[in-house]
Formats: sequence, structure tokens, C-alpha cells
Amino acid sequence: MTQLAESEESQRVGGLPTQAGKQRNIRPTVKLKAKRQQRTQRWLVAVLTVISISTIAPLVAIIVLALSPEGEPTLPYALPSSLTFENIVRIFNVGTFPRWLWNSVVYSVVSVVIVLFTASMAAYALARKRFPGRNLVLWSIVATLMVPMQATLIPTFILIAGMDGVNTLWGLILPTLANAQAVFLIRQFIRDLPDELFDAAKIDGAGEWRTFFAIVIPLIKPVLATLAIFVFLWHWNDLLWPLVVGQSDAARTLTVGLATLNTETVSTPSIMAAAFISFIPCLVIFIFLQRHIVASITSSGVKG
Amino acid sequence: MSTTTAPGRFASRHRKEAMVGILFVLPTLIIFVLFKFLPIAGAGAMSLTRYRLNGDVEFLGVDNYTRLFQDANFWQSLGVTLGYVAIFVPLIMAVSLGGALLLNKLVRYSGTFRALLFVPYLSSFVLAGIIWTWIFAVDGPLNGALTAVGAGPVLFLSGEQWLVLGSLAVVSVWKGFGYSMLIFLAGLKAQSVEVEEAANIDGANVGQRLWFVTLPLLKPVIFFVLVIETIIGFQVFDTIYVMTGGGPAHASYSLIYMLFDVGFKFFDFGYASAIGLVLFAIVLILSLVQRYFFEGKADQ
Repeated sequence: MTQLAESEESQRVGGLPTQAGKQRNIRPTVKLKAKRQQRTQRWLVAVLTVISISTIAPLVAIIVLALSPEGEPTLPYALPSSLTFENIVRIFNVGTFPRWLWNSVVYSVVSVVIVLFTASMAAYALARKRFPGRNLVLWSIVATLMVPMQATLIPTFILIAGMDGVNTLWGLILPTLANAQAVFLIRQFIRDLPDELFDAAKIDGAGEWRTFFAIVIPLIKPVLATLAIFVFLWHWNDLLWPLVVGQSDAARTLTVGLATLNTETVSTPSIMAAAFISFIPCLVIFIFLQRHIVASITSSGVKG
Repeated sequence: MSTTTAPGRFASRHRKEAMVGILFVLPTLIIFVLFKFLPIAGAGAMSLTRYRLNGDVEFLGVDNYTRLFQDANFWQSLGVTLGYVAIFVPLIMAVSLGGALLLNKLVRYSGTFRALLFVPYLSSFVLAGIIWTWIFAVDGPLNGALTAVGAGPVLFLSGEQWLVLGSLAVVSVWKGFGYSMLIFLAGLKAQSVEVEEAANIDGANVGQRLWFVTLPLLKPVIFFVLVIETIIGFQVFDTIYVMTGGGPAHASYSLIYMLFDVGFKFFDFGYASAIGLVLFAIVLILSLVQRYFFEGKADQ
């Protein structure tokens, strides 16, 4: 990567080939400056390549170990003689693993759908409708952002236990539906939409549901997409709450399963195969929605 | 109630709007009352009781708190957490700010490198813990490299306390720095180039420009990230659960780990709630400090 970078770098100084080329003929000082910039850029690329390799290496190691034949001396002392999918096939045949995977999918996907729907409805009302207690509702929801989830872990568990929700998927999902960040972000977004849209809908005689589904939902798609990605990732990667509520395989998520596998004496290729599988959805989301994820973090500061 | 007079219609339209508003907010409100407001109130109330698994409740007043402040385990875990925060926060600030500064100066490939550096953020702390347990193992790659240069095997996860906390902090930094890096990068991109160019013309070198121009301008963002990462540091649990189990000899027994133990190993729910309230107090103070200094600036 460095070599490629350097060769291209020498052709186009600072990504502005024509400008640099013109300047070269005009003033020697500019030429000198461009040369120095070019050297700095080469250094930057070299340093960042080293950092990136060390950042990515652990993930590559997971993949290589997951695909290494069982029982063979392998990383860190030797490369596997061949790559095989047998670890991944085997882990799927370990009785409870598919169940964990399924639980994670349900926990993440169902939560995302319900949170986005209910939060959009609330956000629409909080942004566009006047009703008594509106500000009290809004600020009491936003204020909960300051309370860490761990502080309310015990009462929430007792509540779910009281509803017989321990070791059930709905018991796992219900408390996570109270997502203050989703309500807040969607409300900000709806508030900034032009009033004319809503006036026009009213003049056209659209009812509230119609306005909500035909106007609000399509317009807030960007913020919904962002939240969908992040809520999915938070749930998929969550440990403490699923650990407390999903105590048996019936509601145990993949993350909790991985943590238990790690404490048991399971072979390295097996645990790495399981870890690798757990990472695939996150990676796929990232590959397809990279720009979107980056843009949303830098603009709104979504945080898990 | 529908009247044909103008004020009546006006009032009924308002009433209808209010009805719709309440109806739309209702599902969320019910969820929040049940699963946020009630547990928050419950946490406060429970911390004043002895709450048994079978549901027997006995009012204790502030006994849980006096017990907490006399509990050697609590001070131990608070010390562990503070020690962890003291390592984790400067480390993640340095790495994420350093990464952002490098990316900001990069003209080409910045998208590629940004993506590569961000990928670990997508993983769970459990995944991070699993792979780093392997890296830190006595016969793992890191010790292999250290032994090769004659530094002998290091007990990253089972040795001396500062080493264990440092190793855990490294894992969290690896997993988490991508997010802060992007926040810093956005802050840097928002700075106008002219100021730095002016400093450049005035003869300031790279270090001077960074120290006297770039960083002061970035101050609000730095403070914002600092508070967020400190809060995250205080909540450390997942990596400890996966990698050390609080050990060796309580060397990594953090506040949340103690809360989890007290709550779900000893089922001492009231006492565990008191620990939760201590965490809440810490996070609240940090949030208020942030709000006080950067009202409005942080959510740009």
C-alpha cells in the first residue's frame, strides 16, 4: 500500500496534479514547498499504514484462527497449512449456538423496528403538536440520558422478573425500547422540516396517520437509517443486560454465549469461529454504509 | 361539543391537536414510565432497603450507604475503577487525537485509513476481549515477540495490578478510539485553514502551530470527548468479565463488576442498588460539568 501510495503521490502533489504542475513552472519557492508537502504526505501514509496494520491485525488473526484446522500448531508461531470452514460448520452444529445467533438477531432487529416506530411517533408529536405537558415529557425523556444503564440494572431486572420475563426474548427487548437518544435525534430532525409541508398536507385533507406515514416517515429516512445502524450495533454487541436476563439458552444472545465459551475450555479455532460469525453482520453493515456511519457520527455524535 | 361559533371551532381544533399529540406520544411515554422512570425511582428506593430475592423488603434507611463506605471491597473497586480511568482516558485521548491529526493532514487515502482505523469500533467488547486474551496470553503472540527480544514473558492479565489495568485499558482503547477519532476529525475539519496558514507565515513550526493554534481551537471538542470517555471508563465491565473475571486477587474488580457480583451472585439487590447510585452520582457530576461549560457547543 505504501509503495502504491508513494508512486501516485509523486505524480500528483497533494491530490492537485494540474495546480502543482502549473506552479512548478512559475515560482521556485512554490516548487520547494510542494516538494516538502509531498515528503510530509509520504510520511503520513507510512505512519498511518503501520497504525492501520496494528489496528486491523487482531481482526485478521480472528479470521485466520477461525479458518485454521483444529489441532494444528498455528498462529502466532506458524501459519496454518490450509484454510478450512470446518470450525464454522462445527460451531453451527454445537447445539446451542444457532439458538444464540437467532436470539441476537431477534433482540437486535425487533428492538430496532419497534424503537424507530414508537420514537418517530413520539418525536412527531413532540416536534409538531401542542399538548399539555409536552415540554415536561420531552425533558424528562432527555434527562434519562444522564442515568447510566447500570444504575437502574437491578430495578429493571426485578421489574422484568416480576413480569415473568427472565429468560424470555420479550423480557430482553422491552426495557431497551425506552431509547431517549432516538426520540431526541428524530425530534430535532422533524423540528427542522419546513412548516409548509405540514400545512400542505393539512390543506390536502390528509389525516394524522396519513401525514405521519406519507410525509414524516419518508422525510426522516436519513435519521432513521442512522439510528437503525447504531441501535442494531448496540444491541448486537450488548453484554450486561442480556447477561442478566438471558441466563439460559432460551434467551442467551451471541455475545453472552461467546463470553461463556471463552471461560470454558473450548479450542481456540472454535471460539474464534464463533467470534468471527458474531462480527460478520457488523462488518457487512460497515462495508455497505461506511460513509453514512462516518457522516452521522461526525454530525450528530451518536454514542452507544 | 362541536359548536358552530368561531371560538368554539378554534378550541376544538386545539383540543384535537392535543389529543393527537398525546396519542402519538403515549406508546413511548408508557415504555419510558415503566422501564426508565420507574427503575430510576426504584433504584433510589431500593438502595434504602434490604431487598431479598423472594421479594421480602425491609427498610434500612441509609444503612446500605454506611455499609458501603465501610466495605473494603467497595474502596478496592472504586480504586480499581479510578486507576483504570486514569490509564484509559489519557490513552484513548492521545490515540484518537493523534489519529485524527494524522488523518486531517492526509490529502489522499484519508477515507481508506479512516475506515481501517474505525473498524474495531464495530466489534463488541466481548469480541475485543476474546482476541486480546489470546494476544496477551503467556504463550501468545505478544509474549512471543517479547521473548524473541529477550524481554521474557510478561503476565499481562495475571500479573501486577497496574499491568492488568493497563492491558484492559489497551483493549478498550483499541475497540473504542475510532469513535472519538471521528469526532476530533470533524472538529479539525471545521477549523478554518487561514488561521493556521497565518501562523505558518509568521514562522511557527509544526509543533507550535499544533500547540498554539490547532489545539486551543479544538478545546470544546477535546472537553466533550474527555467527559464522554471518562463516563465510559467508569462503566468498564465487559472486558473485565471476559478477560480477568475481576482478578487476579481483585486487581481488576471494578465498580460495575462489584455491582454485578453483589446483585447477581449474592442477590443482595438493595446493596447493589446503592453501588448503582454511586455510579449515577459520578456520571451525573461529569454530565453537569460538561453541560455547565459547553452548553450548546457540544451538540453542534
